[in-house]
Amino acid sequence: MNNRTERSDKRNLAGYLALGCCLFLGGLAAVEAGPREQAYRIHERLAGEPPSAAVLNSMEADVVGGNALNAALTAIDNPDSSGFYNVTLKNWATPWTNRDGDVFAPLNDYTATVIGMVRDGVPFNTIFSADLVYIGQGFSPGYSMTDNNHYAQMEDQGVDLKAVLTGTAQSAITSLPPAGTAGVWTTRAGAEAFFIAGTNRAQFRYTMLNHICHDLEEIKDITRTPDKVRQDVSRSPGGDSRIFLNNCIGCHSGQDPMAQAFAFYNFDENTGSIVYTPGVVQAKYFNNDDVFPAGFVTPDDSWANYWREGQNALLGWDAGLAGSGVGAASMGQEMANSDAFAECQVQKAFKAVCLRDPVDTADRSEIARITGVLRGNNYDMKRAFAETAVFCMGD
Amino acid sequence: MMDARKFMHNEPVSRDSDSTPRPKMLLGFIAAAAAAVLTACGGGASTTQTTGPSVPPVTGYTGPPPATPDVQSFMLNVWNNIKADNRCGGACHGTGQTPMFARIDDVNLAYADANTVANLPSPIDSRMVQKVGGGHNCWLTAPQACADILTTWIELWAGDAIAGGGRAIQLVPPPIIDPGDSRTFPADPSAFGATIHPLLTQFCAGCHATDSPVLQAPFFADSDVAAAYDAARSKIDLDDAANSRFVVRLRDEFHNCWTTCPPDATTMETAIATFAGQIPLTQLDPTLIASKALTLYDGTIAAGGNRYEANQIALWEFKTGGGSTAFDTSGVAPAMNLNFSGPVTWFGGWGINLSGGKAQSSTASSSKMHDLIMATGEYSIEAWVAPANVVQEEARIISYSAGPTDRNFTLRQTLYNYEMANRSSVSNADGAPLHTTAAADEDLQATLQHVVVTFDAVNGRQIYVNGLFTDDVDQAGAAVLSGWDDTYAFVLGSEVSNEFPFMGVIRLVAVHNRALTPAQIVQNFDVGVGEKYFMLFSVEHLINVPQSYVMFEAAQFDTYGYLFMDPTFISLDATANPNNIPIENIRFGMNGAEATSGQTYANMTEAVTSAQYTINGQQLSGLGAVIALSKGPAADEFFLTFETIGTNANPRTEPPPVAPPPPPNGAPVSDIGVKTFDEINLTMANITTVSSQDAGVKSVFDTVKQSLPAVETIEAFLSAHEMAIAQLSIAYCDALVDDNGLRGNYFPAFNSNFGLPPSQAFDTTAERDAVLDPLIANMLGTNVGTSPSVVTYKAEMNALINRLIACGGACAPDRTEIVVKSVCAATAGSGVMLVQ
Repeated sequence: MNNRTERSDKRNLAGYLALGCCLFLGGLAAVEAGPREQAYRIHERLAGEPPSAAVLNSMEADVVGGNALNAALTAIDNPDSSGFYNVTLKNWATPWTNRDGDVFAPLNDYTATVIGMVRDGVPFNTIFSADLVYIGQGFSPGYSMTDNNHYAQMEDQGVDLKAVLTGTAQSAITSLPPAGTAGVWTTRAGAEAFFIAGTNRAQFRYTMLNHICHDLEEIKDITRTPDKVRQDVSRSPGGDSRIFLNNCIGCHSGQDPMAQAFAFYNFDENTGSIVYTPGVVQAKYFNNDDVFPAGFVTPDDSWANYWREGQNALLGWDAGLAGSGVGAASMGQEMANSDAFAECQVQKAFKAVCLRDPVDTADRSEIARITGVLRGNNYDMKRAFAETAVFCMGD
Repeated sequence: MMDARKFMHNEPVSRDSDSTPRPKMLLGFIAAAAAAVLTACGGGASTTQTTGPSVPPVTGYTGPPPATPDVQSFMLNVWNNIKADNRCGGACHGTGQTPMFARIDDVNLAYADANTVANLPSPIDSRMVQKVGGGHNCWLTAPQACADILTTWIELWAGDAIAGGGRAIQLVPPPIIDPGDSRTFPADPSAFGATIHPLLTQFCAGCHATDSPVLQAPFFADSDVAAAYDAARSKIDLDDAANSRFVVRLRDEFHNCWTTCPPDATTMETAIATFAGQIPLTQLDPTLIASKALTLYDGTIAAGGNRYEANQIALWEFKTGGGSTAFDTSGVAPAMNLNFSGPVTWFGGWGINLSGGKAQSSTASSSKMHDLIMATGEYSIEAWVAPANVVQEEARIISYSAGPTDRNFTLRQTLYNYEMANRSSVSNADGAPLHTTAAADEDLQATLQHVVVTFDAVNGRQIYVNGLFTDDVDQAGAAVLSGWDDTYAFVLGSEVSNEFPFMGVIRLVAVHNRALTPAQIVQNFDVGVGEKYFMLFSVEHLINVPQSYVMFEAAQFDTYGYLFMDPTFISLDATANPNNIPIENIRFGMNGAEATSGQTYANMTEAVTSAQYTINGQQLSGLGAVIALSKGPAADEFFLTFETIGTNANPRTEPPPVAPPPPPNGAPVSDIGVKTFDEINLTMANITTVSSQDAGVKSVFDTVKQSLPAVETIEAFLSAHEMAIAQLSIAYCDALVDDNGLRGNYFPAFNSNFGLPPSQAFDTTAERDAVLDPLIANMLGTNVGTSPSVVTYKAEMNALINRLIACGGACAPDRTEIVVKSVCAATAGSGVMLVQ
């Protein structure tokens, strides 16, 4: 076939496809779901693809037997499918690893670490504190601190992540000492996205957005003490201090004392790697220090959570933690042990599996229940996904 | 800014020193009743000169010559400026009225009388300055401007006298006032709208409204009640309606009364009283541990410092705060007073706010700049500016020009950059090429900045921001001033033609006819801008230390806020020896209640100890706090509260916040969605048995990946997504049918038909089912009720096959493969694959 004919045929086919889509969508909407259809949906929602007949039969039997949760766990760890890890989890986590929330971004060590933690049941509340990173065992090119080729190549070659990802200590394969590691925050991708240039506030802001499910604008509290607001924040933007007292202060008074935990981190664009300078505050913390010289001058990487009081106490901070500390990892524990963090993970799983946000009391009650299950099962995210898939398997 | 830690013992004032700096304001403290006199050096350059280059020579004087150098200095700097009949001379202090410090017959006698009304160590406190500032025969429309100019002249005269160490400032104990019992403006403007606003809109909107043909700020008579309320607050005294500016203007100043002034003033006073009567008194919480209270103006003035002004030829400090003229208080004639036009308003704490308007001097007075700068061939422009944003372009901040294309110089803003145009031997008439700060440095920020641009023949143009050279080298190279036109006008805030407006605040502008040195620039930057006070919050009643205070350096920060800095514990009793006094968690109270926002010291933990306490006090924190302005600096009454001070303790525990109610149930949303790009790719690989790593498939997927759905929301599914799915499904089915092995496994009963003409390959139902049944098994699922009906599916696909095999006896050899691919792709790309 010559090229012109081929293109012409493909155009014809496209027309037929359009017809087919309309036809089958109409047929799909009218059917009641039974156990087999529920099992089918569970698999598609979790693995992103239909199950084989044998797997579907097995899952249907579980649903009929009142053990839909087992059916969901079958879909997750279906040996015939890499979908839950290669597709569902990868695309669940990828938007968190860049500022644009781009789901098309390449696989990276942040995403791989999330996938690995879920696969292995690593307590997800250590996501910002563990000395852990997942790599492709034996895959070439190997892990590098200075580029993302290891992960990009794995994705390009369609490697089964469920099979190859292996957890290892960040401090074992990077220049970071154990005390300088803080889960995904200190992965190369986490650093490249959020420690690059700027003032390191981005790492905190995007953590709030992606893992607490509240952007700063939603939780600003102008009544907190602004004694840790750095010198680079104008107290009279454009000559109007009302803007500071009614807007800027609402975020910075809570954000700056928390982001102080990142004071020793940077991302070097020239070397393409994370930089950690224990004991030495990065110069970026003193950017524009003449904007308000009487502002806070960062002396170290100690941090404090001023949002334990005031309206943001509703985020549910762990009473068993001190609410202050030194270094990123301890601040990561503060974040990841909050009620808001646990609930946020379930909300995100709900969105990924139910394909929508919670909209009513039933949805919110279920999220609360699954959040309890998550915490009761040592933050096993695999279980949270399975529970959610069962809730959304259809009637 | 003032640094209270730099206090030192004062030396006796000497007027014989050889060095001649020109300090403007206070340089230190005197602890009242203490033996020590404290002095601080604010920035302290030591290489200044007494007189600027512009002091006019004394002509027409025929009396005895000055007897001493000091008389000579008085003659040049003061007497020559005030002796005219329309100032202090003539029948007033020239010939008829004592003291005759402006007499023209004998400058030595005038000097003797002047010494009785001049305070050389503290020129601003001179009797003659106070008289003029109080309205006594000021030759300008604003007494404050006359006072400032006269202060400048006396400072020039006094240069030597203050050189030894500066004016000593006595910390004056404020009145002991208990906080509380006052009213604060409610956030809701409705009460204002029902009481005062109607009067304003009826009788004042002709000028003081934004839709008035004669725009006159403030716009407290605007039809928008919220905007009017915002502008009117500073004109209302909630605690004393009769003292409200609205009332004073009518009753005492006869300002545009609508009938006759006394009853109009009473009407306004009644409206304000009615408004205030609806606002409950704010009582101080009795559980608070509070200091005594004071207003900003109860503090000791700490403003100014040791500005370098030796070559200053024009100065605008914008102190007037009213009217439509900003006075040039440099003391260098002719005064380049700036007249406002368009939206120009006064900025609280000295300054003007430009929002499309301009402040321009006459071309005649502007020629001073031409004459004095051309005489030296170099100059500096110095300003404290706060750009309103970082998106405006080519916005004229300061310009000496004739229009958009002709200028002597212009300082302007473009985004994050300061730009300088200068007419020289290497420029065109527009001052181009521009000298600009590097965009990547983002030197310009939308906050208060000290910017200085210098020009000299060697270095060309140089820009300094907040005391630091920006490192940007003038690419135009060395040049000399050339082509300057003395008919141009000096203007702030826009081009003289009203184009290219600058949005922002200007708090000080000075022009020097020399290029300031880096040290001189730092000196002026360190002095800061605006009027500062030392506020002494008495805590003697809380601790057993006589005359003890927590002292702040305070200022009106902008129109809407106060700045407090450097809290220091100090006793004015020199014998006091405070020790072991914990001070924790200080909060600002204002008008009877703690401020909601900006409590910088609420986490502070300090202790005053004898080891750290000195006669200058003990600093408690180096941080600054911004507190919102309410009634204005004359009326806002501040106090401090402590969680701990001495043995008093009132630890706070915030009550837990009340959880908001759950949101209402939303509208039902779709229970199904579409697969996203990777899921589609994965599913197609699954149902066609073709690897996603197949070269042809991978190429197409990489191409169309971002055209496939990125979110599951079914409402977001677009025709573009459908076309991308079609391309991918065709690629998969191409790969399936073109691979003999794959197609043999997939269509085992049809495999022998590939290669036959379509008329033979599809001529039986069994042959067609040999194609459709495998597709049903792989793509529609087995016995899944949510999948389409097999009967419907087959009918549709058979119809498709019929259309495709009808090629009129001229089918291509591979037509059968194409038909199978088509049926495959129509199924793989359909809703059964897509919807989940």
